[in-house]
Amino acid sequence: MDQRILEFIGDLRRAELRISPSEALDALAASTEIGLESRETFKAALATTLVKESRDYATFDRIFDLYFLDLQALGSGLKKALGPEDPRIQEMLDRLASEEGLEMDELTELMLRGEGSDMEMAIREGGQTAGLERLMYFLQTGYFSRRIYDKFDWEAIERDLSRIMQMLEAKGMDPGMLARIRNYLDLRLEAFRKMIRQHVERELERRAYRAGERLTREVLTDKPLFALSPDEVAQMKAVVARLARKIKDALAMRQRQEEKGRLDSRRTIRKSLQYGGIPMEIRFRRRHREKPKLVTLCDVSDSVRNASRFMLQLVWSLQECFSRVRSYVFVSEIAEVTQAFNTYTVDRAIEWALKASPVDYHCRSDFGYAFNRFSHTEIESLDRKTTVLILGDARNNYNDPQAWAIRQIRERVKGIIWLNPEGQWGWGIGDSVMPLYAPACDIVKECRTMGQLVEVVDQLVHQWWRRGR
Amino acid sequence: MFQSVEDVQQHFKNARYIANRRISTVVFLAERMGRPVLVEGPAGVGKTELAKTLAEITNRRLIRLQCYEGLDEGKALYEWKYAKQLLYTQLLRERIGELIADAPSLTDAVARISGQDDAFFSHAFLAPRPLLQAIESPDPVVLLIDEIDKAEPEFEAFLLEVLSDFQVTVPELGTIKAKNIPLVVLTSNNARELSDGLKRRCLHLFIDFPPPDEELAIIRLKVPEVSERLAQTVVTAVQRIRGLELRKAPSVSESLDWARSLVILNADALDRELVESTLTMLVKHEKDLERVKGALDKVLTDLG
Repeated sequence: MDQRILEFIGDLRRAELRISPSEALDALAASTEIGLESRETFKAALATTLVKESRDYATFDRIFDLYFLDLQALGSGLKKALGPEDPRIQEMLDRLASEEGLEMDELTELMLRGEGSDMEMAIREGGQTAGLERLMYFLQTGYFSRRIYDKFDWEAIERDLSRIMQMLEAKGMDPGMLARIRNYLDLRLEAFRKMIRQHVERELERRAYRAGERLTREVLTDKPLFALSPDEVAQMKAVVARLARKIKDALAMRQRQEEKGRLDSRRTIRKSLQYGGIPMEIRFRRRHREKPKLVTLCDVSDSVRNASRFMLQLVWSLQECFSRVRSYVFVSEIAEVTQAFNTYTVDRAIEWALKASPVDYHCRSDFGYAFNRFSHTEIESLDRKTTVLILGDARNNYNDPQAWAIRQIRERVKGIIWLNPEGQWGWGIGDSVMPLYAPACDIVKECRTMGQLVEVVDQLVHQWWRRGR
Repeated sequence: MFQSVEDVQQHFKNARYIANRRISTVVFLAERMGRPVLVEGPAGVGKTELAKTLAEITNRRLIRLQCYEGLDEGKALYEWKYAKQLLYTQLLRERIGELIADAPSLTDAVARISGQDDAFFSHAFLAPRPLLQAIESPDPVVLLIDEIDKAEPEFEAFLLEVLSDFQVTVPELGTIKAKNIPLVVLTSNNARELSDGLKRRCLHLFIDFPPPDEELAIIRLKVPEVSERLAQTVVTAVQRIRGLELRKAPSVSESLDWARSLVILNADALDRELVESTLTMLVKHEKDLERVKGALDKVLTDLG
């Protein structure tokens, strides 16, 4: 069984669950403690030692079902097929073994007496020698079932069976009973053959699943955001949620590190009175905590729809974490959406910002006009602690870029970060005015895929907000 | 201590706590393997209660360490009672004077005083905090480290050391090793991601909102005054409300409160007026309240 669990762990790892060797050992130890009687308990024991993130439970469940046959169901299925005769005939075989000195081949013994789990183990071993790892297509199931089937010495089993029948006949059993027994033995053999086929089919399913998982993972993070299907968008949402949390954790940590400052002599002396004037406890001045101020400007025109969707989700989560986030959306008119984002749940907020916020969605995007308006109305609220985060493709539809506006904004703030969902090769070609805006920005990044968004956030967390104050 | 997983389940049931298969399995393994359990899940599903009940059924003392931002070793492990130490030195000044009065040299005097080291650095001046209490305790205990996600990551790292060896080092006294390995339960509301190291050390248990039949059983057990039928409708209504998109979905503790208040009000069925007036027991957010009120028709149809 241990071998089985280790293989299972291998597959979990391939599905991107992080499982350390010590956790694998724990799983083995836990399965020994628990035993195999109850599938539910066995599953719970593996889950508690191997899965440490609640979001991974779904993956675990799926792979578990592929791996561990429902032995109980299998056992009771077998029992049902064999009918009420089963215990009686088993007893009879017992008697034959003890009284008449019946000796069976190990394999026959397994097939006639074994429990579901023993049979399964035997089939697995057969599968390993039959080269089952080369199984790839559905059409091969027959071939491989046959190969495993051939691994067993059916002649020896047949010999044993006829020996049992002869012994019974010699004991003077009536022909009707003999036929029933023969029928029973055949049923058991048949059940074994069925299990072989089942095993091969499940193996195929497992392989297909494995390959499929890998495919989605590789493709999704590198697929351009605009090309994602609605389904894939839903999948990627979890990734963004994790990103937001990462930002939050990193910033919280930084604030705490800065907490201790210079010696606070007044409070140290005050505290020392308690100890007869000896400065037993030393007090420090609390440093001023800088809460990062963030202003996000998000292009919500059709051309960057999917990218905005993720950006808005990120913005929404940031607003959850920090009090000083202000969010704007624009096409050409610009509008503040902070209030709405605070009120709505994430999905509603995004839908609202993309469809129903107070900007005109039917005009063509005009970055110049948006920045101009923004610098006129909001410049007062910007200061040196503010970081401005802009998402847009800078495709200005040949309108006046008004780059002075973004330069003016830059003069007031800590920095401007521009994320462009268009590939770098397109910047400056056609109506793209990215090169005009870029000099005013501190960081300009291509943000075409989820993988790139993750990278950008990493950079923000590890360099941008960590750097000076 | 426990014979089997079923045994655990039965014990919990006797102590009026409904532990499903997964919970009982984890508790069983924790006891057998001497591992801490990390319990995660939404607020109010009985994470803390699990630890309390565990202490009750194992007849162990419960030592609780409530985590919060700024919790440090001093508050979690031990503290020196400097003031007491100082006071004692002051009071004993004369005795100390006597002790070194006839010392021929300064070196001799220092040697004599350091001979008395133990008197000044002893347990008498040590204020044990929850972690040290749990390790020092002569009887086995249940240690509950509540809301570990509220403490800093650094504290987590420190905890890791304690939880892996069940020993701590007090520089003045030496290393103190646990006489009995305590049963450790950590709870987290997932306010932040916990470190991988800690998760690796622990058995992980995720308790989610219970399915309807389990929740019904919990209500029947905890609020026995409530009639079967009312309990059934309460569960159905709560499950539907959880299905709405709320900031904070009502938890088990909230449905228990609600059931209790309905009993106090002598209600035997749910009607619109009653639900509206008691809704604050269930939903605590202003925005959520409005949302639920708007959807009450859907919640209350065919309650049976």
